[in-house]
Amino acid sequence: MRKIRKEKKSCSGCRLLRVLCKLFAFLAAVYGILFTVFFFDLDGKLLFYVVEPFLVKHYDKMERRNPLDMPYDIKK
Amino acid sequence: MKMPEIKLPKPSAITAKLKEAAKLFPDPRDVKLPKNGEELKKAAHDFWYGKPHEERRLGDLYVDKTGLYKHREWRGVKDTFYYFHMIWLYNYANMVADIMKFGGLGIFAKGLWRYRWMGQTYLPVLHWFDRGLEGMRGEALRASAWHYRAMVCVSINQFMNMFKADAKLHNGAHNEAWKHSMAHKETVWGGVFYPWSDQYTNIPMEMIPYFVTCHVNNHTVLNYIDAVQSLGLPGDPCPMCQAEAGLFVLDDMPDYAPFVVTTNEACDGSVASTAIQDWFLNIPLFALPQPMQFDDPLVQEHCANEIRELWKFIEEQTGAPFNWEQLKKKLEAQNELQRFEWEKWDVAAKTSSYPINGVAQALYRIYQTQYGDHYIWHDTDRRVKKILYKCVEKKIDTFPKTRHRVIAWSCAPLYYSHWCTWAYNCWGLNTIINMDSLMFDMEVRTDTLDNCVMDMARYHEWAPMRRMAVGGLHHIFELWDYMERFNCDMVMMYDQLQCKGMQGVVGLFEDEFRKRNIHAIWMPHALPDKRTVSRSEIRRIINDYMSTVMKEEPLDPTLLEFDDDMSW
Repeated sequence: MRKIRKEKKSCSGCRLLRVLCKLFAFLAAVYGILFTVFFFDLDGKLLFYVVEPFLVKHYDKMERRNPLDMPYDIKK
Repeated sequence: MKMPEIKLPKPSAITAKLKEAAKLFPDPRDVKLPKNGEELKKAAHDFWYGKPHEERRLGDLYVDKTGLYKHREWRGVKDTFYYFHMIWLYNYANMVADIMKFGGLGIFAKGLWRYRWMGQTYLPVLHWFDRGLEGMRGEALRASAWHYRAMVCVSINQFMNMFKADAKLHNGAHNEAWKHSMAHKETVWGGVFYPWSDQYTNIPMEMIPYFVTCHVNNHTVLNYIDAVQSLGLPGDPCPMCQAEAGLFVLDDMPDYAPFVVTTNEACDGSVASTAIQDWFLNIPLFALPQPMQFDDPLVQEHCANEIRELWKFIEEQTGAPFNWEQLKKKLEAQNELQRFEWEKWDVAAKTSSYPINGVAQALYRIYQTQYGDHYIWHDTDRRVKKILYKCVEKKIDTFPKTRHRVIAWSCAPLYYSHWCTWAYNCWGLNTIINMDSLMFDMEVRTDTLDNCVMDMARYHEWAPMRRMAVGGLHHIFELWDYMERFNCDMVMMYDQLQCKGMQGVVGLFEDEFRKRNIHAIWMPHALPDKRTVSRSEIRRIINDYMSTVMKEEPLDPTLLEFDDDMSW
């Protein structure tokens, strides 16, 4: 019985360690990806070549009210 | 059944695309491996501490024309990771947090989709940091970055307040936020609204859609300048007023307040743009003039009365009474900011331990004094105070490659406010102070209402572009006193080509520079419009002066010439 208990204990310890290792590996990967984005200016490149041209096209196509249609009433 | 024909690109086209894409990244062939122990030791030292200034070759980092980086600068382990954690990650995270705090992602997304000045400008904000902080190290990097962080926070606060109240984003409905907002021109000091600041929010109309956009992404403003010129306006009036009017022509101004306060500052160009704003806004308007010849005591009294009239107008419009206690509280908080600014000036003038670079100093100061009191200015000043005291106590030379202490005078090019970062990296020109920082050089008394209003009138008169640039000959020549006070040996003389007021004194300045034997570089520009004088043209002018007149060699020759015409 004692032996079994000991084995169980060590197993749960191992599991915890494994989870911690996986978490650490995951966080390290996220950190590595973020640092790569930062160092190679990938955020800037994405915004410059993809996001800004897309938004500019959208703003150029937008229908706008023509304020010049409003009468200018200086007596009001 | 016939299968649809799929056109595959030719292999040569794919190769060409890949070659194009490869130019966005560093070329591995440029990496030189150390050949001997000595070189290995040097490489390890450079990795850990960063390269010495003269070996950085910052110009090699740029992707041609775009101003993007093949890779961001390696500043040594400590400063690179400070930049990564405390500037890049910290600011991206805090931008999201600020958006959540000031209104939420939903209304932010609506505003982004609706307004060009929002979407096109505020996403690349971290590149604005990069440009201003290039080459900075140690305490100068830290203190300058905190100034940028504060400006981002206030900007988010302002546009989120606009969006929350904007009838255009709420199907034309005038909600409670709309009823509790006050609109004004960006050149009206936010302090005149303090008595209502516990219940109402004052939001400058153009500070975010125009002023800040020019610094962050100078492409945006060109749409507004072109829009107003498309109606027949000639190209030579002040481009600031053109752009401000263009926002209304393109219907890109949120409908966020029931009334508006305007002013004639900086000049009659602002009066003209007010006429357009009055037309298109079609809401009650109060014009609060800023006198040109403000030295006359009678003029100051008149100005104080105008402020009292404004307060009556706000009471009528809001139904809320004037709150003297609230005014006192906010002014005392603002005075605290001013007192720390004087401490900063003392350190800048008398030591080489001032940790704030030229662009951070200029933008933070003009933003803070013009917008008025905000909690983030106090947070930032607390952080910067620690850094400043550390630098003074330890006698840290924050800009060790300084060859000349520069004072920048007149109105700066908004599309190239970070020229001073380039000038330090390339030539060792350290911009200590600038004209706009010195405008509101005063505390406001809060002992009695009469004293308070008289001081507020003075503060109001000392606005950007009024105190010195369009405020009379005597004040524009305060340059000589400030040069001496800040121990500067060189002047960067801004030459706003479309400012008729400043064009009128060019000859007088030329004469004085010669008479006083002062080294001055004239920097022509058209405020927000980069098409008139490009950034590379500005750099060429400085390069020519430094090499032909000063006969100096650049610290970093890769920064002499590069093409960044398409950059933000």
